[in-house]
Amino acid sequence: MKMTSKSMAAVILVILFGGIAVTTALGWWATETTKEPARFSEGEAAGEYNPLDIRGSYTFGDISRLFEIPIEDLAQAFQVPQGVDPASFQVKNLEDQFAAYAGDLGTSSVRLFTAFYTGLPYDLTLEEVYLPDSAAAVLLAKAPLNEEQKAYLAAHTVITSEVSTPPAAETVAASTPAPAATETHTVEEGKVAGKTTFQDLLDWGVPKEVIEQIMGGMPPTTSTLVKDYCTLKGLSFSEIKLLLQAEVDKALKK
Amino acid sequence: MVKSWLQKFTRRKIWIRRLIQAFFFVLIALIAVNHTLAESGGGLPLLSSASLHALCPFGGVVTIYQYATTGTFVQKIHESSFILMILGLLLAVLFGPVFCGWVCPFGTFQEWLAGIGRKLFGKRRFNRLIPEKVDRVLRYARYLVLAWVLYMTAASATLIFAEYDPYFALFNFWSDEVAVGGLIVLGVVIAASLVIERPWCKYACPYGAVLGITNLFRVFQLRRREATCKLDGACDIHCPMNIKVSEKKVIRDHQCISCMECTSEARCPAAATVEFVAGGR
Repeated sequence: MKMTSKSMAAVILVILFGGIAVTTALGWWATETTKEPARFSEGEAAGEYNPLDIRGSYTFGDISRLFEIPIEDLAQAFQVPQGVDPASFQVKNLEDQFAAYAGDLGTSSVRLFTAFYTGLPYDLTLEEVYLPDSAAAVLLAKAPLNEEQKAYLAAHTVITSEVSTPPAAETVAASTPAPAATETHTVEEGKVAGKTTFQDLLDWGVPKEVIEQIMGGMPPTTSTLVKDYCTLKGLSFSEIKLLLQAEVDKALKK
Repeated sequence: MVKSWLQKFTRRKIWIRRLIQAFFFVLIALIAVNHTLAESGGGLPLLSSASLHALCPFGGVVTIYQYATTGTFVQKIHESSFILMILGLLLAVLFGPVFCGWVCPFGTFQEWLAGIGRKLFGKRRFNRLIPEKVDRVLRYARYLVLAWVLYMTAASATLIFAEYDPYFALFNFWSDEVAVGGLIVLGVVIAASLVIERPWCKYACPYGAVLGITNLFRVFQLRRREATCKLDGACDIHCPMNIKVSEKKVIRDHQCISCMECTSEARCPAAATVEFVAGGR
C-alpha cells in the first residue's frame, strides 16, 4: 500500500482533529484546569482531594470550597493585600507578591499549607517547600500538626513580617506560638552554633561575599539557619562552622 | 499577483505539506495571541485561548512519571497534552515522525529560516557546514536532552523544560511567561537555522528524539527500489535531515521526519523508486 502526500495530509488532519473531536465528545479534552484536583486513590485519604494537585490558576475561593478551609485563614496565612478579594486571588499571584523571596513562596507553599491544615497526606521528601511566617502561625494555631510537621515548619518558615505582614497576621502570631526557628532564636554573640542565622553572621560583620564563598551561595532570606542551609545543600555543618567562626572572630576583632 | 504566487506554490511537488505546515503555524500563533488577550479579559470567540503548554504533545511525555506515581499532571500540563501525545504517537507508529515534518510549527519556522540560509550561503554550502563525524555524534545529543528533561521534571514536579523551550519562547516572546533561557535558546536556534536545516530538530529536540525511535518499526516505511534507482543523489541532497537515502533500501534512520521530500512524488526523478509504503511492494 502506497502513501501519497495528499493522503498523508488527510490522515494527519483526520487523526489530530478527529482525535480532539472524539475526546471532546467524551469529556476528556481539557486545555485548562477543571478546578477540581485529583483525588487520593488509596490509603486513609482515599477519595479526598489531593493538595499536591492545586494549580497556580486556582483562587483562594476554589481552595476554600474544595478543602473546606475558611477563606479568612487563607487570606491571613498568605497576606492577601487589603482591598483585594481573597476569593478571587489566584495562587500564582503569590510569586509576585513574595518576589523578594526568590521563588521560595508560591504554589507549593499553598499545597503544603492546605495539606497541613486539613491533615491530608503530603510527602515532605518530594521537594523543599517554604511557608511565610504568617502561614506557619495560622497552622500552629489551627492545624492538627504532628511533631514531624512542626519540625518541618520550624525549618521551612520564611520571616516576611518585616516586609509585608498585615496587622491581621500579627494578631495571630501574637496569640499563637511562633515557628520554632524564630521562637527559640537566642544566640550567643559571636559564636557560630546551630541557632545561628545568616543575619547573625552579617550583624557580626562577616561580609556577604565571604559567606557566599564559604557556603557556595546565600539563601533567599537571611533569617534562615546556617545549619538548615548546610543540610539543604549537603554541606558538613561542623566544617562550615569552623570556617565561619574564623571569619566571625576576624570581623569582631576589627 | 496572488494567482501567480498560487501557481508557483502548487507547482512544487508535495506542496500540500507546506500548506499543512503553514496552517498549523498560523493556528498556533493565533491561539498564543488569543491566550494573551484572554488573560487580560479579551480574546476572540470561536478560537481556543489555551496555553501553548496545553497544546504541546511533549507535555504529555514529561508528565507520564508524575501521572503514574501520583495521578496528577505536572503544573501547566493538562489532559489535552496527554491526548495529543497519544495522537502523535499513533501517527508516528503508522508513519514515523510526521508530526515533526508536517505539523510542528517550530520545525516549520526553522524550514522558513533555511530558505534565507540557502540564499545567503548557496545551496551547496548550506546544511553541509558541520563535519560529518561531528554531526553523527551530535545527532544523539537530543537523547541526552530527553533524559535530562524527564529526570528533572520527575525530580522537581515542575515543567522544567519551559525554562529553555524555544518553541514556547517563539510564540510567547511578548509575554512575561517566557523565561530568559528560552529566549536565548531561540536566538541560538535562529542563528543556527541560517546555516543548518532544522538544527533544533537534529541536535536538541527531546520530542523528536521520542518520535524518532518509531522509525525503527513504523508501519509505513520509506523504501528505495534499487532496480530503478538512478543513483543521482537527488534524495540525499534534498533530505533536510541529511540522511543518505541513496545508500539504503529502507530508511530506518532515527532522524527521518517523514517529510517525503526524497520520494518519487517529490524530488526523486525516477518513477516509483522512493516511496512511502506499507507491507510488500
